[in-house]
Amino acid sequence: MNALQQAQDMLTEWVEAWTEPEENRLDAQVTPANLLSAVKALDDHAWGYLVAITGLDAGVEAGTLEVLYHFCAGPAVLTLRVTIPREQAAVPSICTLIPYAGVFERELAEMFGIEVYGTPDPSRLFLPDDWPEGVYPLRKDTELD
Amino acid sequence: MPEERFSIPIGPQHPALKEPGHFVFTVDGEVVTGASVRLGYAHRGIEKATEGRNWVQNLYLLERICGICSHIHATAYCLGVEKLAGVTAPPRAQAIRVLVAELERIHSHLLWLGVAAHQAGFDTLFMYSWRDRETVMEMLERLTGNRVNYSANILGGVKFDVTEPAMDAIRHGLRFLEERTSHYVDVVREDRLFLQRTEGVGVMTRAQAERLGVTGPTARASGVPRDLRVDAPYAAYGDYTPRIVTETAGDLKARFIVRLNELSETYQLIRTLLDNLPEGELKTRMPRRIAAGETISRVEAPRGELFYFIKSEGGEQPARIKVRTPTLSNMDSVVRLAIGHQLADMPMLLAGIDPCFSCNDRLTTVQTGDETRLWTWEALRQYGIDYYREKV
Repeated sequence: MNALQQAQDMLTEWVEAWTEPEENRLDAQVTPANLLSAVKALDDHAWGYLVAITGLDAGVEAGTLEVLYHFCAGPAVLTLRVTIPREQAAVPSICTLIPYAGVFERELAEMFGIEVYGTPDPSRLFLPDDWPEGVYPLRKDTELD
Repeated sequence: MPEERFSIPIGPQHPALKEPGHFVFTVDGEVVTGASVRLGYAHRGIEKATEGRNWVQNLYLLERICGICSHIHATAYCLGVEKLAGVTAPPRAQAIRVLVAELERIHSHLLWLGVAAHQAGFDTLFMYSWRDRETVMEMLERLTGNRVNYSANILGGVKFDVTEPAMDAIRHGLRFLEERTSHYVDVVREDRLFLQRTEGVGVMTRAQAERLGVTGPTARASGVPRDLRVDAPYAAYGDYTPRIVTETAGDLKARFIVRLNELSETYQLIRTLLDNLPEGELKTRMPRRIAAGETISRVEAPRGELFYFIKSEGGEQPARIKVRTPTLSNMDSVVRLAIGHQLADMPMLLAGIDPCFSCNDRLTTVQTGDETRLWTWEALRQYGIDYYREKV
């Protein structure tokens, strides 16, 4: 049984929908409420490692943001996809399970205006000190000069 | 008496290598009790900028994320975009990508060896290793016309071929580098003064390395056998597979040995590649619009795993490009490993992960109370050297 099938078995309880976008990849749609449980299931089984957290903005019309948690085990990539509304965008921090996720969460928060509640250090990581509040550079409706 | 903490901000103009960063260390006497990091002083908004440029323009933009490992960024991007477009670059092009990537690894590791030696006050090693680095810079210049930002890739292939005389020049240079590298392995294993700065310093066990999410040589020095060239071969690594080099000690010494031993593997890989370079085309046609979809491209940069997420909506420009560089993954380990170490060890600890940081260097020491002192990075480096000299 390959790594992605194992992950699928661990996560059945927490995942709403599965897709296989490419060879060696599996995407799992997870609600914000189930995110921690899903990460915990991976962590309990020591499945792979968190490689990155990607933010995606579907645009003003769609009204949603997506947060992608990419886990890798050898060539296999499992992505937990969490869809949240653009207004009051928030996801729970996964730092209690994966401490080094902190830097990824700080980047996500400042670039997309997503509140990562419970993250140990919510300060800015990349943006300058004088960057205006409420301007999130990687949102699609933010135009930069 | 209330508990007083000394906070020592280091940076943002400073640390060991490329790019500025800002660290705040809290200390109790000489011992670091806490640390935090603030980055972004060289943040240029490249991810956002990619959304306003076409697929070809972005190649040149992404290549400029890093001056040292420009080729690996371009390779990760090209492989990802080609995957979305359903195009595969010809075998000779893939092999040339590997060749340049491995020459870049030599360049990067030798540069690191020099900088790390300098942080330890071992400037003779710094100067010799940088002299030797010229050898690989000349190979790269001969192949690509550039010493940095080689611009070897295009979407669908590579720009140039490798001629027989160029191959001979590379083989010749490798013989020299191999001899030098084996000498450096002896130095970092045996030089007593140098060992004082590296042996048992910044120890990270395998379990810690896995918990801290470190990558590349930093992880391999703690016995984590992870290398994407082997685990998930891309470009032509399926045909030219290196051995994964690991050490178990997990200290700074192990990080030196791993990088140097990786160089030896790389020399071997390049020789095999030159002897077996497939014939054929250098490029294939790429569409101007890239089919809608999302892809992930992962490559082994000199510093560790480099991760690209690329999303296309079918147009001439990408919808999103996400880049996760190895330094970001390794940064957290510095902050955590710093705790319990001597302040004097900080320059070496930071250099140990081979961070991408700038070398223009100012460092401020602010003490609680009224007194404020200013230190330069140079002063902290000297402080580290003097501190250990007194202990001899």
